[in-house]
Amino acid sequence: MATQEKITVYNLADLKNTSDDAIPNYLNSLKFTQSHRLTDVRLSLGYSAFVVAAACFLWDYKLGFESTKYFTAGAVAFYTLLNGFLTFWILYVEKGTVYEGTSPSGQEKIKISTKTKKNVPTYFVTVEVQNVNSKGKTTLKIERPFNEWFDAAGRFVAAPFQTVLASQVPVIGQLDVKRANPASAAPAQHETQPAYTPEMLDMLAKANVSVVGTTAEATETSGADAKKGGKRRKA
Amino acid sequence: MFSSLGNPRQAAAQLMNFGLILSTAFMMWKGLSVITDSPSPIVVVLSGSMEPAFQRGDLLLLWNRNLMADTSVGEIVVYNVKGKDIPIVHRVVRKFGEGPHAKLLTKGDNNVADDTELYARGQDYLDRTDIIGSVVGYLPFVGYVTIMLSEHPWMKTAMLGIMGLVVVLQRE
Repeated sequence: MATQEKITVYNLADLKNTSDDAIPNYLNSLKFTQSHRLTDVRLSLGYSAFVVAAACFLWDYKLGFESTKYFTAGAVAFYTLLNGFLTFWILYVEKGTVYEGTSPSGQEKIKISTKTKKNVPTYFVTVEVQNVNSKGKTTLKIERPFNEWFDAAGRFVAAPFQTVLASQVPVIGQLDVKRANPASAAPAQHETQPAYTPEMLDMLAKANVSVVGTTAEATETSGADAKKGGKRRKA
Repeated sequence: MFSSLGNPRQAAAQLMNFGLILSTAFMMWKGLSVITDSPSPIVVVLSGSMEPAFQRGDLLLLWNRNLMADTSVGEIVVYNVKGKDIPIVHRVVRKFGEGPHAKLLTKGDNNVADDTELYARGQDYLDRTDIIGSVVGYLPFVGYVTIMLSEHPWMKTAMLGIMGLVVVLQRE
């Protein structure tokens, strides 16, 4: 239906990045409020460092080395500090977080971080949910192979991806009931078969079910979807 | 990569990564410059006037601080002639005075005459502050790329063109 780019299924970075990009799309479509705190800090650190370097370049270019060398020394030290802090921020504070936000009711805070292991085609997701009123934090770990939501050609299919999240995370499941109860729940079956073949995708496309991970289309599925869901699993 | 520039934050992050690569390289160069106290701590030998010690295309590392001792006779120094931007690598053969305004005379090992002809009109000696550093290390032949690029400017365009092509083709 919509032209969809294919990624190389053997490229773990592509698999992870595409999946990482889909999470905010999905959750924001369910009306979660995304918090951009982490990204904003990272951007401000990085751009400040860049500005320091640019200023250093300018005064060195205009005024020469000798007259500005103490400023340059200061700039180099400050730049090293900013960059060091940025690295620390990315490694220890962000720690693989791809989404931070609040549920539509405002009651729960959710934080999703993902990682992959070298040469292992599995998506490791850690979901932390915290209720704003209570102190307790629940942590969920989800491990699924990428071929559950990527077809053999490398197209990302939103529905099974959303099903994984909705069925495993209660907060998401409450908001997306359609996906929270898939026809088949056992993940072990999917290990060796790719979930979709081009014929199935054509069928889905004709039934007006989007296979592109966009926000609006993915959630406005028709009643035919439930039946299609049954057909998908059997084939 | 470009297709995922849907939201502005992600575009800003990609741009920032690229910018940080450039600025880190630049700051590393400036850091070396500040540590060695030399405006150009790495120079390329352009002529054969210091053969057999240095050949054309060698890369030299400079140090411009006199922490232990003054720059003395016998050291190989690099200086720019006043008004010109070409670094000259020669050996100090005479010294008068001490400290930051000592007067130095230089001569290339492979030259017949000393550098009096090369200095600016009316200048008979170099001031210590004219010198941008003494040679403390070298890498043979590595700098030849720089010489080729400056003597054949079309190579710069060709290199940039090839790099641009590689970047564009990789997207597919």
